Amino acid sequence: MKEPEVLKALRYPLAPEVILLKRRALKQDLLKQSNLLPIRIAILGGSTTSEIKSVLELFLLSHGIEPAFYESGYNRYREEVLFENPDLWKFKPEIVFIHTTWHNVSEFPATLESAEEVESRVQREMSQFQSLWEKTHNELKAVIIQNNFDLPRLRPLGNLEASESFGRVNFLMRLNAEFASYARGHSRFLINDIHYLSAEVGLAEWHSFNYWYKFHMAVSPAATVALARNVAAIVKSVYGKSKKCLALDLDNTLWGGVIGDDGVENLVLGRDHPVGEAYLNFQQYVKDLQRRGVILAVCSKNDRENAQKGFSHPDSILKPEDFSAFKANWDPKPDNLRAIAADLNIGLDSLVFVDDNPAERSFVSQQLPEVAVPELGSDVTCFAEVIERERYFEVDKLVREDLHRSAYYNSNAQRAACESDFCSYEEFLASLEMTAEIGPFVPVYLERITQLINKTNQFNLTTRRYASAEVETVSKDPAFITLYGRLADKFGDNGLVSVLIGHIAGDTVNLDLWLMSCRVLKRNLEFAMFDALVEECQARDIREILGLYIPSKKNKMVAAHYSGLGFSRAGETPEGGELWRYEVPKDYEPRAPHIQRKAHAVAVADIA
Amino acid sequence: MKRDEFLMQMDEILGLASGTIQGHEKLEELDNWDSTALVSFIALADTASGVDIPLEQIVNCSTVADLVRLAQVESN
Repeated sequence: MKEPEVLKALRYPLAPEVILLKRRALKQDLLKQSNLLPIRIAILGGSTTSEIKSVLELFLLSHGIEPAFYESGYNRYREEVLFENPDLWKFKPEIVFIHTTWHNVSEFPATLESAEEVESRVQREMSQFQSLWEKTHNELKAVIIQNNFDLPRLRPLGNLEASESFGRVNFLMRLNAEFASYARGHSRFLINDIHYLSAEVGLAEWHSFNYWYKFHMAVSPAATVALARNVAAIVKSVYGKSKKCLALDLDNTLWGGVIGDDGVENLVLGRDHPVGEAYLNFQQYVKDLQRRGVILAVCSKNDRENAQKGFSHPDSILKPEDFSAFKANWDPKPDNLRAIAADLNIGLDSLVFVDDNPAERSFVSQQLPEVAVPELGSDVTCFAEVIERERYFEVDKLVREDLHRSAYYNSNAQRAACESDFCSYEEFLASLEMTAEIGPFVPVYLERITQLINKTNQFNLTTRRYASAEVETVSKDPAFITLYGRLADKFGDNGLVSVLIGHIAGDTVNLDLWLMSCRVLKRNLEFAMFDALVEECQARDIREILGLYIPSKKNKMVAAHYSGLGFSRAGETPEGGELWRYEVPKDYEPRAPHIQRKAHAVAVADIA
Repeated sequence: MKRDEFLMQMDEILGLASGTIQGHEKLEELDNWDSTALVSFIALADTASGVDIPLEQIVNCSTVADLVRLAQVESN
């Protein structure tokens, strides 16, 4: 299915006037998609929010998310939470977006107010917001998306607004620093950085006096589009819908010139040439993405040997080892992108394809509508900005595993190369010298566990999502069995890659969740997890394991998971989920002989 | 912007098929004439004719033709 023309309106470069004009038609088109993920979002506004709601809906739909909205009364963002508006409580939002701006600051410092007085004013303002956030977290159990502060267009004190402690610019920057500090300490509290957005749009475009006085819109309609896109990117990251891999063309994309024709010595790359410097900076941007966990792949029409030579250019920042998949051949690019997704065990919808050639972009868009294809243009000075503004790789949290992601995938490539040296797969598995750390959830891993729960789609039996507070709750509740799994081998540590949650009822444990990262597929970790689960059941006198498989568009790979483990079919749930039963035997033969189990992290957590 | 073109833009704002709005329609009878459409109309008038329409003048309008007059679009 080709991407509908009308949806291009939601891609960079944005045309706010077109979006505002066509929003109803856009919504109708977007609602035709199948498998939309329903979510509930409460917008609590310190100013008018109806425009934001209507545009945010479009961007969320374009990410495959179908929102139901609750809107607070005008400027009732605080009261509706603190006084527990029954409608809001009944709505049970999963996400609360608090749309406040500098207009909602209670009171700015007086001119010449002392630094101490200003500081206590900052703390008073913070405590008001904190009471709102804490009540939202504790009682509504929702993820909070909170605007930080934009800046006013008018500066009565001129440049002193920024330098004096009582200056409004300085005061707002102090508040922004406090908001950021709070965000660092609270994993379900995310900042919508309108300080940056308003600068990106320009303050005069961001805030219109006209719309403020007419409608009390703190953000002008045109800038609402930028705001809504940013909020939608945060929401999509919460639900694990951000992209994972950047697949790059080479010639005239990562360097100027054609390596096969021009040779490495004539490539335009480096600081001695204006265009060469732009290619260099684009490479630096790509490298920065890789360092924060975006997987890189090459997708180029070239001889492989030539393609690799390009990276030997003395100024090249990127090196072949930065790429977790390298497809340089003369096959059609859609075929290579399919191969990249298969090699990396990720969905095609996790790929962003970057190519300077409009014909290739168009071909990929037509053949693989799931792949994101930014309209890169032909000017290398704009490449990074085009990718940046699409907000493809937004994440709600960075954890250590993210930074090592490329290394994990590169180790997988080494494993694959090694596999061909063995007569049997069993022999290959034995050669990997795998060790697994499997144990109940512990505080040190809760953040990673929550992240994995909310973004794993393929090897996921139920695709149930849990907020971090829920994960913490089940980890402490003896009526639950929780297990995490880490896997390492001689090529490297894969980190925490599997999670299981089951609730106990009588002598049965019901498996609510069982997932595993696709980067450790076919390594038998699922068998090692099952061994650990059976051991736990035996220790707790649990006689029966009831597995649940809820089919989704993406989890077909685990359709036979329970039958493969020896479960027998035990019926269906009203929602169409499959129930599978397993009787825990007294004498159980472990299923993962090639994985050596090592002590889990309970002791570490207890010490912590 | 000519009147016909303006009316087609109003179709877009109201989520109607192109050519639906003729001008005589009463605003109170249009299902999608709401605050969102109102903001879009003000933005459209600004883009089309550079006219900044005060809110109270829009509130006094009863038909699409009244809006067209306010937006000062050229006749066909």
